[in-house]
Amino acid sequence: MLSRVADSLYWMSRYMERADGILRMLKINYASSQDDIQEFSWMPVLRIFTYMDEEGAVRISHNTRAVLQYMVTDRENSNSVLNIITRARENARSVQDHITKELWQCLNDFYHIVRDEKLDRELHKEDPVTILDVLIKQGMLYYGTLDVTMARGEGFAFLNIGKYLERGVQSADILDVKFSDVNYDFRRTDTIYWKYLLLSISGYELYLKTYRSGFDARNVVEQIVLNDEFPRSILYSVDRVHRYFERLRSERNKEAFQKIDFMIGRILSKVRYSTVESIMAQGLHAYLNGIKEDLYEVGNALNQNYFAYT
Amino acid sequence: MPRFNIHHITRYTYEGPVRDSANQIVLFPIKDAFQDVEKQVLSISGDPSVDVYKDYYGNEIGAFTHAESHSSLVIDSRIEVVTKQRPPLVDDIPAAQQWDYLLQLRGQVPYIDFLLQEKFASLAEVLEDTHRQEMLTLTPLQAAQSLKTYVYDHFKYIKGVTSVETTLDEVWKLRAGVCQDFAHFLLVLLRQINIPARYVSGYICPNKSGMRGEGATHAWIEAFIPGNGWVGFDPTNNCVADDLHVRLAVGRNFSDCSPVKGTYKGAAGQTLEVGVSVSYESGRTTDDIATVLTPQPAARNGNNSAEQNSYRRYMEMQQQQQQQ
Amino acid sequence: MQTSELLNSYSVDPATWDEMYTDPERTGGSSSVERTLDLVRGQYRPVVDFMQQMSIEELNKKEELAKRLFMSQGITFTVYSSGEGIEKIFPFDIIPRIITATEWKYIEDGIKQRLKALNLFLKDVYNNQFILKDGIVPVEMVYSCPHYLREMHGFHVPHDLYVHIAGIDLIRDHDGTFYILEDNLRTPSGVSYMLENREITKRIFPDLLPSNNVRSVTDYPNILHRNLVSLSPRQTSNPTVVVLTPGIYNSAYFEHTTLARLMGVELVEGRDLVVDNHRVFMKTTAGLQQVDVIYRRVDDEFLDPLVFNPDSMLGVAGIMSAYRKGNVAIVNAIGNGVADDKAIYTYVPAMIRYYLNEEPILKNVPTYQLGHPDEREHVFANMQKMVIKRTNESGGYGMLMGHSASDEEISKYKMEILKDPRQFIAQPIISLSSAPCYMNGKLKPRRVDLRPYALCGPEGIQIVPGGLTRVALREGSLVVNSSQGGGSKDTWVLAG
Repeated sequence: MLSRVADSLYWMSRYMERADGILRMLKINYASSQDDIQEFSWMPVLRIFTYMDEEGAVRISHNTRAVLQYMVTDRENSNSVLNIITRARENARSVQDHITKELWQCLNDFYHIVRDEKLDRELHKEDPVTILDVLIKQGMLYYGTLDVTMARGEGFAFLNIGKYLERGVQSADILDVKFSDVNYDFRRTDTIYWKYLLLSISGYELYLKTYRSGFDARNVVEQIVLNDEFPRSILYSVDRVHRYFERLRSERNKEAFQKIDFMIGRILSKVRYSTVESIMAQGLHAYLNGIKEDLYEVGNALNQNYFAYT
Repeated sequence: MPRFNIHHITRYTYEGPVRDSANQIVLFPIKDAFQDVEKQVLSISGDPSVDVYKDYYGNEIGAFTHAESHSSLVIDSRIEVVTKQRPPLVDDIPAAQQWDYLLQLRGQVPYIDFLLQEKFASLAEVLEDTHRQEMLTLTPLQAAQSLKTYVYDHFKYIKGVTSVETTLDEVWKLRAGVCQDFAHFLLVLLRQINIPARYVSGYICPNKSGMRGEGATHAWIEAFIPGNGWVGFDPTNNCVADDLHVRLAVGRNFSDCSPVKGTYKGAAGQTLEVGVSVSYESGRTTDDIATVLTPQPAARNGNNSAEQNSYRRYMEMQQQQQQQ
Repeated sequence: MQTSELLNSYSVDPATWDEMYTDPERTGGSSSVERTLDLVRGQYRPVVDFMQQMSIEELNKKEELAKRLFMSQGITFTVYSSGEGIEKIFPFDIIPRIITATEWKYIEDGIKQRLKALNLFLKDVYNNQFILKDGIVPVEMVYSCPHYLREMHGFHVPHDLYVHIAGIDLIRDHDGTFYILEDNLRTPSGVSYMLENREITKRIFPDLLPSNNVRSVTDYPNILHRNLVSLSPRQTSNPTVVVLTPGIYNSAYFEHTTLARLMGVELVEGRDLVVDNHRVFMKTTAGLQQVDVIYRRVDDEFLDPLVFNPDSMLGVAGIMSAYRKGNVAIVNAIGNGVADDKAIYTYVPAMIRYYLNEEPILKNVPTYQLGHPDEREHVFANMQKMVIKRTNESGGYGMLMGHSASDEEISKYKMEILKDPRQFIAQPIISLSSAPCYMNGKLKPRRVDLRPYALCGPEGIQIVPGGLTRVALREGSLVVNSSQGGGSKDTWVLAG
């Protein structure tokens, strides 16, 4: 496979995962903003998903419509859903002959929907959840189409490596920012705060089934970092990166493979053999940061060894 | 029959590692009745395989690549050439008859290529200044001599004020440049009065020091003069090029003959140094001359132009591609 | 729907050949003439019949469906204005343009003959130059053409084939005679529209194609692929063929991906390739892989920054040396521009007589060389009746239509011409035939041209029965280029 093609597939996939993450975050946080008006702030969301300066973020952090508009349809915000989808589509466009026609059409439709001026108008006056749901569904259609139509070759491996790498970083980010918001105070027990955190990454129901004793910050950490049945946990994400990377094993490019395989394997062991206690001993922030940096390094190594073409 | 040992080194040094370099060299002296190559040793860093072929103008061109990462490129050429003095120039046919003859060559291959002249803004001014009409009252040989002297008299020889990318208009404004600019101008003047004229790149091997063009590759022109064939005129030194000029290639202009050019991918900066030394058969030891390298204004590497927004440029190029 | 409703605003210009109506005398102008099926040419009757059985709503729905299919499949071209790319679909008219078996036979024979001569011309002009020595084509004409590449001189191309893929533009004069308007021998585009338009027709007019005996065009990518494979310099059962695109910002990018996908070959950009030791490789996740055949959609000038434009970021440095050594095949050959130059065009009938000793089947449009003083004078005196074109431009750019230009535009254009007359030609304005288009529930005549696509391989020339019909959608317009408000139609060639 062409290095450029692998690169584009990887990035297309990362962007799609990012867009999905943002949309879910927005939906749940919107619900949360309707639940407790006094306390709710969009600050953590803006901090995780945008490059907005502190001042600008403070200014709109209590203006729900402004945040939604900025996060979804703003052309100036390089991390708006519109711009992320545009980039995903640019990548897809340059590898059109390596993805199925169905997948391309699905992404192309997504692009036209999110660019439609109607969407921007509706975001201002209609029920935001309806609009976010339309976009989330379009994303689901993408995942489904990908799963049903794409051949299980090298391209599929790169798509999944991108997807799970992005997801791992995102989960670490969300957890870190949410905890920093409460100064890493593990004694905090207000149900609503943790409920919305879990809801925003679709982990609420699993949490209820796993932990019968109410909300405990430790359990939240355990689920998001260490639960290998939770598809958004860091452990699950890293494990998938590892599995899909294994599929690239071949006689050619052996040296690069072994190097990166080792890197991923080390991250996986690190997470797998962590406990909530060991994480807290190290400090949650330091731990998550370490994971993120390790994942970025994997990204760089892929870049040098598999995607180098310019 | 003078015999020269010429040592020509070209060295590119890159600021960082580069790769995917592709290069073209025009460093193989012409072999004909007046010039014989006894020996040529070419060594290139990385030891690539050089494909040598003849181009449309009969020059030998070498092409090679160097894909691996590297931080310098050295092309080292040592040649031993023997040149022969040319017969004295003749000019005994009536002028009008000679001009008529030249007129007949106009639409013929290969002369046509050496008569087509690119237009430039100051052309009219240049022609006025060179008394075009008066030229036609002389014989073509006299006219060529006179225009060669005109260029020598009116242009100052200054290194570093021009580069391979300087336009004719700019050179005209400066009235200064190096051998390549002198040659380009003389080509314009000769082609305007319908004398076929071609660019020559090579080496000058003076028997006394102080000639212009030593220590580097040199450039002059050849004009097609009835009764004599292609005659070399060196406007930089105001002389007829004979057995002290060693020819590497001929063409319409510099870019047909550019001795060394190349592209690469990688770090932006490069420095180019070139050195040429000549020793004579009659001189001291031939192998031991110290070839002095002097820095040159390096040609731009197409993929690494720093001055502009290369992303934009890249996009624009994609859009420009004609899809018929 | 009644025939009259569908046809009653169909008024054919009496001086124009209409593809659907037989007799412009009786159909033109006045609305009192009864428009019946009798006057509709046989080949169009089933389509008109079919449409009559539908309501306007149904037809509008079909048109809407066509638009949606194009948009969602990304069959678009990008127009750049003020930095932002706007994606547009190439407007598609749902009524097919229909060509009879007899007409097609004539076109096919004419194009084959022409391509044979053009290919011989290219070989000659880059080698022995017999045609120049014999004064059939003036030397100046060739040597002043910017696309005549000295670098190609004395070069051996595989099977002596220079033109592998050609798009030949045809128009019809008032009496129905076909004329060659332009030869496109470098990077002819539009074939993806030929293929996609047919797919759309299958969706919007179920069953109509087989019942009309319409010949299939779907073989195009297979023939192309077979030809490309046959050019491989390496004797391997599975040579690496690639399509080289300038990139996603090129207006024809959709076509490049479509062709790569339909042939099942890699779509590459210049930066994916590298030349080492006079061989071309592509950079893959498993290292370098040798490339044997390149179908390139990048202009000559940009193909090799080492030899041509040094600023090119789209090409591959050193590719010419690989080509020269015969280690890679490049399609179309480099330097073909000298044969489709609009000034050289004038000499194509002479080439046919010279090389083939045959009379040209398809006619040229009379053409004036503005580099020639007498002809220039004639053209300047008759500017209103002329279309003036730049010899090296295509796509309708840099063109002046004399009948619709203002005096100021004309005098400005004359100044342009005088700067470098060789770069311009003039042709009398030919009216172009008209064909029915669907417009808000009615059929209306609009001007069309035709571009069939020829594929030349070691085993001969094949022309896929079909092509791209471009249509000037604005009423009265004679310009069919997509950049100038043109659209396209599915083109049916009927089996005998």
